[in-house]
Amino acid sequence: MAEAGLLRSRLALAWLVLGEWRWHPGRFAATAVAIAVGVALGFAVHLVNGSALASFEQAVTGVNGVADLQVRARTPLGFDERRYPRIATAPGVTDASPVISLSARVGSGRFTLLGLDVIRAAAVTPSLIGTRPTGPDARSDAVFADDALFLSRAALTATRTRVGDRLPVTANGRTVSLRVAGTLPGAAAGQALGTIDIAAAQWRFGRLGRIDRLDLKLADRSAAERALPALIGADATIVSDDSQARQGDALSRAYRVNLDMLALVALLTGGFLVFSAQTLSVTRRLRAFALVRTLGLPRSGIVAAVALEGIIIGLVGATLGLIAGYAMASAALRLFGGDLGGGYFGGGTARVVFQPVAAATFFALGLAAALLGSILPARAAARAAPAAALKNAGDVLDPRAPVPWRPALVLLLAGGGTALLPAVGGLPVFGFVSMALLLAGGVAGVPWLVRWLLWPWREREIASVPRLLAIRHVQGAPGQAAIALCGIVASTALMIAMATMVTSFRGAVDSWLGQVLSADLYLRAESGDLDPATQRRIAAIPGIGRVAFSRQLPLTVAPDRPPVTLIARPVRGDAGYPLLVLLDRAAVPAGATPVWVSEPAARLYGWSPGRTLRLPIGGRPARFFVAGVWRDYARQQGALVIRDGDYVRLTDDRGRDEAAITLPPHADIATVRRAAAAVLPAGVSIAEPAALRRFALQLFDRSFKITYVLEAVAILVGLAGVAATMSAQTIARSKEFGMLRHLGLTRGQVTAMLASEGALLGLIGAVAGVALGALLGQVLIHVVNPQSFNWTMTTLWPVGTIAGVTAALTGAAALTAMLAGRRATAGDAVAAVREDW
Amino acid sequence: MRALLALAAAAGLAAPAPYPVVRPGIRLSFPADHGAHPAFRTEWWYVTGWLKGEDGRDIGFQITFFRVNPHAAGDNPSRFAARQVIFAHAALSDSRVGHILHAERAARAGFGLAGAATGDADVRLNGWTFRRLADGRFASRVGGRDFALDLTFRPTQPPLPQGQDGYSRKGPKPEQASYYYSMPHLAVTGAVVRAGRTERLRGEAWLDREWSSDYLASDAAGWDWTGLNLDDGGALMAFRIRRKGGGILWAGGSYRRADGRTTRLSPADVAFSPTATWRSARTGARYPVAQMLRIRLPGGIRAFPLRPVFPDQEVDARAAGQPVYWEGAVRTDGGRGYLELTGYTTPLTM
Amino acid sequence: MRDRFVTMHAIETRGLAKTVGRDRRLFHDLSMAVAPGELVAITGDSGVGKSTLLNILAGLDDADAGEVRIEGIALAGLAEAPRTRLRRERIGFVFQAFHILPYLTLEQNVALPLALISPDAAAARDQARAMLGEVGLADRGRDYARDLSGGELQRVAIARALVHRPAVILADEPTGNLDPDTATRILDLFARAVRSRDAAAVIVTHSVATAAVADRVLRLTAHGLVEQPLVAVDG
Repeated sequence: MAEAGLLRSRLALAWLVLGEWRWHPGRFAATAVAIAVGVALGFAVHLVNGSALASFEQAVTGVNGVADLQVRARTPLGFDERRYPRIATAPGVTDASPVISLSARVGSGRFTLLGLDVIRAAAVTPSLIGTRPTGPDARSDAVFADDALFLSRAALTATRTRVGDRLPVTANGRTVSLRVAGTLPGAAAGQALGTIDIAAAQWRFGRLGRIDRLDLKLADRSAAERALPALIGADATIVSDDSQARQGDALSRAYRVNLDMLALVALLTGGFLVFSAQTLSVTRRLRAFALVRTLGLPRSGIVAAVALEGIIIGLVGATLGLIAGYAMASAALRLFGGDLGGGYFGGGTARVVFQPVAAATFFALGLAAALLGSILPARAAARAAPAAALKNAGDVLDPRAPVPWRPALVLLLAGGGTALLPAVGGLPVFGFVSMALLLAGGVAGVPWLVRWLLWPWREREIASVPRLLAIRHVQGAPGQAAIALCGIVASTALMIAMATMVTSFRGAVDSWLGQVLSADLYLRAESGDLDPATQRRIAAIPGIGRVAFSRQLPLTVAPDRPPVTLIARPVRGDAGYPLLVLLDRAAVPAGATPVWVSEPAARLYGWSPGRTLRLPIGGRPARFFVAGVWRDYARQQGALVIRDGDYVRLTDDRGRDEAAITLPPHADIATVRRAAAAVLPAGVSIAEPAALRRFALQLFDRSFKITYVLEAVAILVGLAGVAATMSAQTIARSKEFGMLRHLGLTRGQVTAMLASEGALLGLIGAVAGVALGALLGQVLIHVVNPQSFNWTMTTLWPVGTIAGVTAALTGAAALTAMLAGRRATAGDAVAAVREDW
Repeated sequence: MRALLALAAAAGLAAPAPYPVVRPGIRLSFPADHGAHPAFRTEWWYVTGWLKGEDGRDIGFQITFFRVNPHAAGDNPSRFAARQVIFAHAALSDSRVGHILHAERAARAGFGLAGAATGDADVRLNGWTFRRLADGRFASRVGGRDFALDLTFRPTQPPLPQGQDGYSRKGPKPEQASYYYSMPHLAVTGAVVRAGRTERLRGEAWLDREWSSDYLASDAAGWDWTGLNLDDGGALMAFRIRRKGGGILWAGGSYRRADGRTTRLSPADVAFSPTATWRSARTGARYPVAQMLRIRLPGGIRAFPLRPVFPDQEVDARAAGQPVYWEGAVRTDGGRGYLELTGYTTPLTM
Repeated sequence: MRDRFVTMHAIETRGLAKTVGRDRRLFHDLSMAVAPGELVAITGDSGVGKSTLLNILAGLDDADAGEVRIEGIALAGLAEAPRTRLRRERIGFVFQAFHILPYLTLEQNVALPLALISPDAAAARDQARAMLGEVGLADRGRDYARDLSGGELQRVAIARALVHRPAVILADEPTGNLDPDTATRILDLFARAVRSRDAAAVIVTHSVATAAVADRVLRLTAHGLVEQPLVAVDG
């Protein structure tokens, strides 16, 4: 019945909606834009991340050439080539293509250089096979030639060369002159890849006896997967495309999820904005609704009309948002790269990949936000008794009405409880749920907060009439204040939360860098090693105090996780090293080989002090005793420190890639630096701690750049919300201002009243936002961060940001209210007091 | 098929140290010459033959191992250095299938996965083998997606040196030649596995052994070759090398009667004339799949009409980066053998 | 006629003319005078310009020609600020729609004009209380607008209009939103209060009952103000 009634009243409904639009097109446009901004941000961030991941996966397949399965060395030291025939003849394996994988450069152009057996690769990974250039003089004699280099299109571009050129290619610390014999047409677009003969790669680039991976072609996958583990040795691992993709996914998943969440916050703020705008619009039309209800529109008709408005706002906003999001994603990929500055995806360039599912999802979310923001106030309006609403001018507020505080408290408590739940699949799902609950609770608590903050002025006499009116109005109508503030409270809270987290993180990183970079000079081999001879020369540099050489290698512990960093260096005694900031430790029993694990490694792999673990170092698993957990913000995927003596014993690898030099007191760093530069081979860089620290912090800031941008947008959306709501509320009160002008308030006094009211609201919004933000920041720091990035930190408050946001908010709200007030009072006071709607 | 060598041989660099030149006046010695001659650029162990299935039908087969020295290794100490490259090819012509089933393998020698031993026949490649057993029999095991063969070959006659005691000319220049001997009338026993079903087989085969450094003249387009086991115990091998643009560059062969008397065929003694052609829809090549082979014997000209068991015996190995050729089981009056037609799509370079 | 000697008119207009829109002439050459303690009702058909006249009297609107004097002061010569001050101190308003601020107590609402003149909150409160008592809402000072009926709200509005003892009270259809009985009671209250304070009051109305409480009834027509004989209305 109601449906039929509604359907019959559709003309009236259309009039209600259309009439509202004709009168307030700007308001509709503004709410649609708010939704559009949210959808655009969410979609753009998601697209960028998705595209980056897709290009990463493409890069993985590109370099791997779609082998069925890979046996891959756990470290760049590779594994013994004699394992190749055993694996090639394993049950289920049809063919095996051995590969040397090097990161190579020509000048500043970088590419992945693969050493391949062209015949094996033709059977296993045909896309890695180069072709000869066609031409009358071209012959196919380059296939086994030890200087024939085949480059992908992207590598040709990166090295600025053409087929036929001769190039000095540097990899593994050696430079070899190679001739570009052809291209790799099978390489994925954007994939900088080069191939040479495997024998040439071993010999010319110093990898004799080792291979980095075996690409396998399988006849029987399950047989192969059963047989291989026993054959591959401890320093290799079995990798499928699938696990590689998972690895890429794991690498940046937490980061991506966090960005997605931030983007959703913008959408949420947009939803609040729609809510504010629609609430006002509904309040203003209360008597119009009462009239049409009196004339016979069913109660659901009101909801339907407002919901229809919401749907149209949502459709327009979400469509605009998707378009803008796609454009933003393309621009962001060009400006920031696929990881938005996060530094997760190296190599290939990403292109925007349109994702229909994500587009549909964000469209739906935008629509839902607009719809929900409309339906909630519409339901409230529909409940109002039409007669009362008709008679009353709409100002039905009762300043003594108690403000509900229970829902807010329940939501906050639920949020707090949820924060204590553990991560789900490595993602801080409950952390985010907790943040959402806290946010909802915080916003719901704003009316109560308004009352509570203004409690001291409840009974007090206020001499200034404008101020009296301002305070009494805010105090008497905290619900209206809450409506104006919910968007800004939400966005401020999230911004403060992010700022607190980033500030704490940055502070933690900064002080950690200060502790860790305790030496005076750092040397680093950019390509290749510091071989023992070079190490001796460095140790003999006149004027140096102590030098510690270290080896850093990626070590794959689990095939579907990115490798951890294995660091071999001198460690004094068994109690750690001064350079390690130990969070936890255990006494090392006699005879045990100690390992110190970084905090992320400890969290990711569940290694706690006192445990014994087996690590695949040097061809067979070796037992290590976890002697301590150290703080590390540099390697999100985890790091391990072992003593260099143990490392040499296990691997017999005497090459090192870093040296930390400590000078005796009063030594002149510049002199030592000059002396060091004189003995160092090419490709070794020298840095002082200050430079390293600066560089690290630059990297940090770069990777958080996008979060700053997102925060700023959220704040802007929130401010726009306050502006829109305040001006709408002010204009709705023009009758009141007309009466006050009759009573003899000057225009200036009315403006002053509105300015103080705006400032008061802004201040309250800022206080609420900051308080809520502080709470959310704690969830970010103590729940979301440890769960997604596996490191902890202590809180540092971003005092400057808090003060700035508070001031900006108060000022902006006051200014908006004043501007709106000027408009509201500019009209004639006479017309305003007239009884009309 | 010898055309496989095109790829591998062409792949060899202009040699830093020259390959040994094939010259007349050698003596073949066994079993050493069953084994590899690694210094030469190309070498093959080439078995073709006819088998009889359990139901009595005829099945043709071909098993070939090639060894190529691409002269690419130089003094590279790497175990991967491409000192030798081994290719292998197997094909089955079953009239019940109507086209050839084939499989191929390739690998650089090394790591015990692939290689050709010297001293006696022992070639292996990713599980495919061809070797001589202690009892003098040869044994081969090959297999692919569609079929697997496990065969032994018992010699019933002494080796047949081709040309002048094994020096076989391929072109107008004396160095355009190979060392070449055949082993006709090998008695075959073994099994074929197809679709999980093992079928016992017997039959008769022909082994060709050839090694050289400079096989084809630069103006050669390809060749027609046939090897026939005659029912009376005789064996006939004949080939011609076609010139690019038409005409015959070289020809030759040999005819051995059951009693061992052998006639060497010079270029003027061999004439191939097509009697039917077949056009491949896959490659567009037109092959003279039926030919009339005439050879001049002391007793006069003798004609052998060569008739394929079915026309589509084209081997298209382009997917594996190898050439396209026709290698077919043929019947003749009073005998059976194989006909090989190469260079009908693009000229070979060897 | 009253037996009081009128020394000076509280309201005096001379030759007022007003045209709205392009050429809708509401009135021209309109002259009138209201003495202190006198209650004048202005009636007329809808749209003749009753409310506009009231606004011109209050200095919220300007006439095209002629002058308005409030207690002898010509409004035309006043800038915005002194005009506002004059309105604040010497004029009280009663509106058809009451306009009682919902977020202030009734006492505060009534005290608003006093608060605008002086920061003395205690005095303002006392006077507002007294004033509320005078309109019959003695104990309702702490209540809010939503607790009151329409008649009560208009009493509050009257209290607010009188609390600062203005010389002039302007009322625009003060009973337009009230039922007849309530309207009568309110009007009696209004008239009594105005007279007891010697204020000059102008009520714009088209209700005969309202006009009945006035000392004079002027009918505004397109030709100007026409004095109408008082008609006794039986309550």
